[in-house]
Amino acid sequence: MFAMSPGNPSIGPLDLAARAAFYGVACATLIGAAITVTARNLFRAALGLALALFGVAVLYLFLEAEFLAVSQLLIYVGAILTLIIFGVMLTAQIASPTQPRFNRQAGISLALALAVGLGLGWIFLTSGWPSPSPKEPPPAPVPLSALGRSLISIYLLPFELLSILLLGTLVGAIVIARKEKDPE
Amino acid sequence: MIVPLPQLLAVSAGLFAIGLFGALTRKNAIGILMSIELILNSANLNLVAFNRIWGEPSGLGQVMALFVIGTAAGGAVVGLALILTIFRHRQTISADEIKLLKG
Repeated sequence: MFAMSPGNPSIGPLDLAARAAFYGVACATLIGAAITVTARNLFRAALGLALALFGVAVLYLFLEAEFLAVSQLLIYVGAILTLIIFGVMLTAQIASPTQPRFNRQAGISLALALAVGLGLGWIFLTSGWPSPSPKEPPPAPVPLSALGRSLISIYLLPFELLSILLLGTLVGAIVIARKEKDPE
Repeated sequence: MIVPLPQLLAVSAGLFAIGLFGALTRKNAIGILMSIELILNSANLNLVAFNRIWGEPSGLGQVMALFVIGTAAGGAVVGLALILTIFRHRQTISADEIKLLKG
């Protein structure tokens, strides 16, 4: 982790550009999230969600978690978002602009969310994280081979449980959402 | 470049707060579902960031984030199936008009 002082000699122009890109992506993510919760039109909210999820995927790239970034794109942006847009389309007449966006708890919820967000942000920004000294190199990113190996060795049981859970949701979703047969 | 950890955590706190606001106030059930996805993403961001900074060799943070993504997919599927069924029966997905069980 680098110091934020401008006199740090190790910060080159490339590093500066990377930092600017990081802040840009962070802003885009938050803007996408804000569109998601405030847009009157649900389809527009889904597009804001796409922006936010894409931003998070790029943040994963900044953290050198490439496999996770690709999974995020494939599963979230590719699958979940498609499902959500299908849901919006199938219930389209409800998402009309005349419907109110928020319920009547909007004021108190805004106060609560602001308190939680500002409190957490203040704690995160001011608490001194034990950062490694600038002399020693930062820890290497987890290589993909190590990730794959730990998925089939240490974390094999949760991995298999997840597959059973997904099978259960598959069957459950079909049973819940299928059309009921006519009574006769 | 190693991303500055406090700023990244602040982004995740912002995502969480926005998602919390949406989950508490959205009338539309699909909107609530989308807000919950935002909250899960903010948690994932924290997991991956701490994994990166402290360098856990087996990648525990990334594995947990993968599991969260998988469970979120399952949750979204079942949630949307429920919403579609409710819409088919009651012609509304507004969360405060679904009060069949209210005494």
